[in-house]
Amino acid sequence: MNGSLEALLAGAALWRARGEAEADPEGHLPSGWPKLDEELPGRGWPLGTLIEFLLPEAGAGELTLLRPALAALAAESADATRRWLAWIAPPHAPYAPALAQSGIRADRLLLISAERTPDRLWAIEQALRSGSCAAVLAWLDTADDRWLRRLKLAAETGRTLAVLLRPARRRAAASPASLRLLLEPTPAGLDVVVLKSRGRGPLRVRDVLGP
Amino acid sequence: MPSVPAPAAPVPRTRPVPRQLWLAVRLPALPLVALPREASGPWAVVADDGPRRVLVAANAAAARHGLAAGQALNAARALVPVLEVAARDTAAEARHLEQLARWAIGLTPLVSLEPPDGLLLEVQGSLRLFGGIDALLRRAAADLEARRETFALAVAPTARAATWFARAAHGTVVESAATLAGALGRLPLAVAGWPARTLEDCARLGLATLGELRRLPRDGLARRFEPGVLAALDEAFGLVPAPRRRHVPRERFVERLEPEAELEHVAALEPCCAHLLARLERFLRVRDAGVATLAFTLLHRDHPPTVVRLGRALPAADAAEWRGLLGERLGHVSLPAPVRAIVLRSGAAAAVGGTTVDLPGCGGGGAAAAAGALRLLDRLRARLGEEAVSGFGLVAEHRPEAAFRRLAPGPAAARAGTVPALPAAPRPLWLLATPEPLALAAGRPARGGRLALESGPERIESGWWDGLPVARDYYVARTAGGLRLWIYADRAASGPRRWFLHGLFG
Repeated sequence: MNGSLEALLAGAALWRARGEAEADPEGHLPSGWPKLDEELPGRGWPLGTLIEFLLPEAGAGELTLLRPALAALAAESADATRRWLAWIAPPHAPYAPALAQSGIRADRLLLISAERTPDRLWAIEQALRSGSCAAVLAWLDTADDRWLRRLKLAAETGRTLAVLLRPARRRAAASPASLRLLLEPTPAGLDVVVLKSRGRGPLRVRDVLGP
Repeated sequence: MPSVPAPAAPVPRTRPVPRQLWLAVRLPALPLVALPREASGPWAVVADDGPRRVLVAANAAAARHGLAAGQALNAARALVPVLEVAARDTAAEARHLEQLARWAIGLTPLVSLEPPDGLLLEVQGSLRLFGGIDALLRRAAADLEARRETFALAVAPTARAATWFARAAHGTVVESAATLAGALGRLPLAVAGWPARTLEDCARLGLATLGELRRLPRDGLARRFEPGVLAALDEAFGLVPAPRRRHVPRERFVERLEPEAELEHVAALEPCCAHLLARLERFLRVRDAGVATLAFTLLHRDHPPTVVRLGRALPAADAAEWRGLLGERLGHVSLPAPVRAIVLRSGAAAAVGGTTVDLPGCGGGGAAAAAGALRLLDRLRARLGEEAVSGFGLVAEHRPEAAFRRLAPGPAAARAGTVPALPAAPRPLWLLATPEPLALAAGRPARGGRLALESGPERIESGWWDGLPVARDYYVARTAGGLRLWIYADRAASGPRRWFLHGLFG
């Protein structure tokens, strides 16, 4: 009995809680970037909670970072369970042929425009609570903490990869997100600053996309 | 010559299929009755069959002279010089068939149109009500005679077999699956309605009946004939299910409600609308149908009416979900004046669910998940508007901006599903709606500092046929800050090279 438990604990597949207050009922999805996974609790993107990206500008590497996970989700939600990859109020149109190059089927993509902030918050909440989105990527620039908490609650109702993309200047604002990342493109590639991940302090992952 | 391996034609796995009994109604004179014409002399309906004009149907007087469907008009005229002809009106035939379907729904809710000249009724569930198949057939025949139809009826455990029996003769009744194969096997091949070439091939092999054809090895059948032949045989003999599209009469729900007092606030509308929606749901449940669009017209005393439209991705009946959609929409409605009456008008009723008379297990897994995915669409559209929610399809096109298109997400996008060949060269994850001109620094493209070109050029020249030609050299470039960009040099314009930012690798 004890032996098998130890074997289990030794297994790499098992994520051992590092003293976090929150349980991990819904699992994690490897980001596909080993350097980043190394530093993330659960070795991947947490599902069923709120992830926050802080971006200096659009195109800073946010989609490159998410692409492997989106491809995995698109493959997982095959025809039997039609789940959307929802894009809410992105700054540009996601380019379907480029996503298809990574195996992300065009007919899984759902683009939702919502100019007004209340509509946008509502749409994000609906998408998260519907249970029919494998991923919700939502671009948002609000400081309303109550709404962010509400979105987090909505994310916790499902098993969705829920990413909120906000401008880097919101870095100092309080956020209920379980995981907060600041993206910093460098001439060499992309650095990611993990501002918050389940109680752990900030740390920098250099050249995330590099070998 | 090496032998080509035959494509496997495995015998379909049989599975427990709920017992069904199909009544086929064939209307050989439909082309005649669909036309508003009363003539005692010989007349016929004609249509073009390739270069020839052929008879589609002939009236009794013409038939007495030996005329029949399928004959060339020239030959018919030679036999009966006084023959009058009329051009076929397939739209009128379809309308007539729909009228008959309304009658048929009185016998069973599961009616399917089988154009050009037939109806199929699934009657297993109606036998008890009518007191057996014979009584039901007598009732159907009496009704059709009263409607002055020319008809042939047949009954079989599979839809296709019933259709074929009705084509062969009036009155064949095969109730049990055990005797189906024998009875079906005796039918001539012509009942199947296969192309002339297939029938000629069969004749050359000395085959005259369905039974003889079916005794050929399956692989031989699959190899020798077009795929439809084996599939039709399997359907007729009940080896594979053949779901039929259930016909729902094109009815609309229209109802007006006048509250006792005029309603001044949007919130006061909801109970009245809920009442109308409950009545709509009852209307639809009785018909086992749904609607995809609704319009509430709010009538005011001195103002033009306010119209609130709602849409669903698939036809649906449930009042609760419609109420949710309406609630979202009413939040954005402002009333110019109090409402004195509400009119609810639905789109045409349509079959709900798989839209077919489906067998269990054939509906495809994940139906509930798919319904949930569509429900999200409905809600988003109700509040944000139709155009705020879109999906994507890929287009086989070299111009990057034309290699995809926006379309309605959901079933439409899934149907558009063929994936064209994708470019091998890198494509950015963000594409700018309009290419952004780039500044030049010492003759090189710049964006907040000089751009370093990482790869390229990829030359794209296309679109000359539709008046939007492009001639561009694309490069992957990196800004001093580390952003990866997709830029191009426009080769179409004369003069100094102009550079544009077209995408971000993000």
